[in-house]
Amino acid sequence: MKILTANFVQCTVKACGSSPDCFPLHFDQQTPDLPLELAHEDVDFSPEFICNVLPRIEWPALLTTARELGNTQLPPAKPEIENPSAPENEQLLRDLHTLLLETQIIQGSMRCANCGHIYFIRDSIPNFLLPGHLVQ
Amino acid sequence: MLPTPSISKLNIAHVYEPAEDSFLFLDVLQDELPYLRERFSTANAPTPLVAEIGLGSGIVTTFFHKNILPNALFLGTDLNPYACSKSKETSKENGDTRYFDVLRTNLLDGLRPGLVDVLLFNPPYVPDHTVPSFESAVKTDDWLDFALLGGCDGMQVTSVVLDHLAEFLNLARGVAYVLFCRRNKPTEVAKLMRNRGWIVDMIEERKAGWEVLSVWKFSKVK
Repeated sequence: MKILTANFVQCTVKACGSSPDCFPLHFDQQTPDLPLELAHEDVDFSPEFICNVLPRIEWPALLTTARELGNTQLPPAKPEIENPSAPENEQLLRDLHTLLLETQIIQGSMRCANCGHIYFIRDSIPNFLLPGHLVQ
Repeated sequence: MLPTPSISKLNIAHVYEPAEDSFLFLDVLQDELPYLRERFSTANAPTPLVAEIGLGSGIVTTFFHKNILPNALFLGTDLNPYACSKSKETSKENGDTRYFDVLRTNLLDGLRPGLVDVLLFNPPYVPDHTVPSFESAVKTDDWLDFALLGGCDGMQVTSVVLDHLAEFLNLARGVAYVLFCRRNKPTEVAKLMRNRGWIVDMIEERKAGWEVLSVWKFSKVK
């Protein structure tokens, strides 16, 4: 699972849908049975691609996710980039590219801050299926 | 004619091989290419998010990122754990994309509302008494019926998706493609959806053996 995906998902429990705490899910508490494992996977760098994805990103949530995964280097506010190919923007766009697209969460868990439910990621695939008693 | 993705080493005990319904879906997307390119040209617009419910082998999403909108973002879901991993392999086998992630979930559960720009859904459309039970699939590790059987009228799963379409889609520019067979009574479904304010068009209809399949497009904004 790529880190960008953490910006797109929330707790599946119906009662959490109306809570602001259902997003983002948190990586701050990992279980010993399934230790957090990250990997780097090369993806072709395109500054335009990253620039066009930026408007989709909930920046405060990305800051939280990145911090919980050990990255505290992001700017505190969403960068506004007019010219993706300008040399002064290259480092920032490369950093975002590495974070959002190239960092794979191979395994680990995500926690809902509202209900506490834990979602597991295995073989890079997060599982959002709920046990029977939480469905409805 | 756009190339069909290649899929090697598919274990047909776990994931259905692409058949007439998938190929109709690919042909529809090919017909829709000019419309989709124009609607989602990325000059000054956020990159579109394409989501597929029920990835199966992954052929539809892979076809889409190879041929239709190569610079889009791709997310897909499946209940079947084998389909989740197979669809990632299919994407890689065909050259992959910058962003494609798979969620193991029911429909789009877990995805934040209002994000989807293009929704692709080839549902379990075959009429049967019931929809298969998740618990028994886990127990028997047999997931094929999930991809096939749609309960009463074959519409039990599709109806849930159509009822939630306004939550899934980015309404300003979102569009959904859904496959039906004739026994799903798609013209009645289209009428119901039009009454709810959706713009509904049939893109293509085709006889496939004893079935008549069609793919319909739903959007709120032309």
